[in-house]
Amino acid sequence: MDCFAPAIAITGSAAISAAGNSIKPALEALTSGTSCLKPIPEDLAAGTTGHCWGKADQFKATDFIPPLKARKLDRASQFAVATVGMALADAGIVKGAFPSDRIGIALGSGFGGIANASEFLSGYYQTGVSGLSPMLFPNTVANAAASNASIEYSLQGPNITFIQRFCSAESAILAACRFIEEGRADIMLAGGVDELTPQMIRGFAVTGQLHRFASGFGEGCGILVLERAEHARKRGAAIAAQLTAINTVGFLLPGAEQQGINHLLQAQGACDQLIFSGPELAVQPLLGTVAATSIRYPGRIIGSSLAMGGIALGLLTASLQPGEQGLQLAASPEGPYYAISVIGGGPA
Amino acid sequence: MSQKRIAITGLGTINGAAKTIPAFQKAITQGKSGIAPLDLFDVSQYGTQIGSQIKEYHPTDYFSPRQVSHLSRTDQLALIAANEAVTMSAISGCYDPYQIGVCIGGGVGGMLHAEEWLRGELSNKPARPGLLRTLLPDSSTTALAHSFGFAGYQGSITTACSSSGTAIGWAADLIRSGRQQAMLCGGADALAMLTFAGFNALKVVDPNPCAPFSAGRQGLSLGEGAAFMVLEDEQAARSRGAQILGYLLGYALVGEAHHMTAPEPGGESAARVMNAALSAAGVEHGQVGWINAHGTGTPLNDVVESNAVKLVFGEHADQVPLISTKAITGHCLGAAGAIEAVASVLALNAGIIPQTLHFRGVDPECDLDYGHSGSRTTATRIVLSNSFAFGGNVTSLVLGSAALQQEVC
Repeated sequence: MDCFAPAIAITGSAAISAAGNSIKPALEALTSGTSCLKPIPEDLAAGTTGHCWGKADQFKATDFIPPLKARKLDRASQFAVATVGMALADAGIVKGAFPSDRIGIALGSGFGGIANASEFLSGYYQTGVSGLSPMLFPNTVANAAASNASIEYSLQGPNITFIQRFCSAESAILAACRFIEEGRADIMLAGGVDELTPQMIRGFAVTGQLHRFASGFGEGCGILVLERAEHARKRGAAIAAQLTAINTVGFLLPGAEQQGINHLLQAQGACDQLIFSGPELAVQPLLGTVAATSIRYPGRIIGSSLAMGGIALGLLTASLQPGEQGLQLAASPEGPYYAISVIGGGPA
Repeated sequence: MSQKRIAITGLGTINGAAKTIPAFQKAITQGKSGIAPLDLFDVSQYGTQIGSQIKEYHPTDYFSPRQVSHLSRTDQLALIAANEAVTMSAISGCYDPYQIGVCIGGGVGGMLHAEEWLRGELSNKPARPGLLRTLLPDSSTTALAHSFGFAGYQGSITTACSSSGTAIGWAADLIRSGRQQAMLCGGADALAMLTFAGFNALKVVDPNPCAPFSAGRQGLSLGEGAAFMVLEDEQAARSRGAQILGYLLGYALVGEAHHMTAPEPGGESAARVMNAALSAAGVEHGQVGWINAHGTGTPLNDVVESNAVKLVFGEHADQVPLISTKAITGHCLGAAGAIEAVASVLALNAGIIPQTLHFRGVDPECDLDYGHSGSRTTATRIVLSNSFAFGGNVTSLVLGSAALQQEVC
């Protein structure tokens, strides 16, 4: 598909990652090639060694959320509430300044809710029904992060959560753009959130994923503020970049792989800056398909996750000069594949 | 909005009340409930021991032993229902495979199997690690896409109990926007200890079969199942000679931004989404024959939904029956919206308004027409189907009967 009509602008972004609590430290680490990954303690990795993870160790929920409120939120929700707040501030959007039913949220979620589900079930399996904690159950759903953020900032527009392999955030960004295009919302918060727990590492280890796609897993949240370019201009917002196209295919059909890649890239053969998200093994079919001055892979720096596409797009946006063309390619081992095209600065 | 009309050309389901579309049509028409004692896992510690479980289900009736070991119960249900829909639509081979996508609304995914692994971990009796591979609901989406060779869009929506209603609306929009020519969409969710224990912990499960909108109702009855639709642009479907079974005329979704578990008491957000869905569909309020309610049977939900319907339809609210088919299927969580959408299309085409089962008496706070006294015939062609969820996610679908094909779009 070609350009969105009307044009969609990125007017704000924020991230929490292993690099720190904003886009800036992650971009600095990406630019300098400094990995923020740390070794996974051996006792967590089922006896295997040499694996790293990208824990967001610098994140302290109470720096962003009142302690009593923070205690009620799962870690993914804490990430989302904090990052959405920073993204709104970056876009100059103050709560109540716009009709709340015209602002929505679309998030990709990786393992959001799983930690609470595990804790809730562990209580039951260890002590029976008396061990059930009703407080834990509501945040076992994957949409808890988006919903808690919507409650915090009164986002009453479209609200949707996706889990789609390593393209969860890209799935959400596509939906957010469409909701703006259709006129369902003026502003959408879009991106991805994921958390990483020791028990997940244990699960990756016993299923062999630690050696494959879960190697160098990370956690965090990346949020973009998307809005109609005209809406942004009217309110005097700075436009960091414009989303020009999002294309996707579910998987590359054996024998018709090139046709799938053509669907994905729509004849885009070059760009100024290319960023990959998803595990390195999965993006292999896309390597070499697009010529770029700069090719970067944030997964090596902050860790890969199912929903890291929001952080990746934030990094791409922050690194583009006005007029520069950027491309984000995302892939999962079993599919899907995404291509997100952006151009730095506002529309002409 | 685009004027492209989205046709339904395939339907499939498996749930606690029926394992095929013809059987589900019978259950809807005759008011046959699938709610009965559960035996999928041990519920002996709970005061409530019933639900709408798919009984006499033998995976090897549908899959090879190797497939069974690789597919979660949710994946299996998804494949069975989707296969019925795809077969009915005869869509395979009619489009470029990159132009057919898959969109699923999910809930617990393969949690039932992950629970077995967790129990093993906690008791130092490690279980088969493969049980974890299908944990997330996108596992079903991948399984469907690869099974049918649909290489277009893949998406899994996880907004709890509104997941699959939203998946259908979003799938229709992917066609309407020109991104895909056809979509396989719906939802799948199997029973799991997580949800059974969770809703019991919240004390919102009725010890008896759920009684939506009745006096004395104590909550929901859980269920499991899957339901799918094949959607296409009407003109393309007609061109290939497909049988049109109904229409997805429009949808809307919002976040209430009110509370994680409690709906906004006045029903304003639910009313807003119903009005937005009707507007998106280009349907007048007077054209809506009945509403397939979210209708869980919890004391709070049913009052809020009634309030919302009053806000939407005003003085005519009591002329628009608010029907809950959850008393037939149980609350199938991530699959609920899709199962209810399929139920709505079947009822529309049969010319009936289904009965809301298990009436226990009149609740003064639920003072609309809930169809408690029995099913009835109708000439209506349009139904509104609601889904509400944890987190305040609300979705409404506007569905049309096959008879609408006689009207120029």
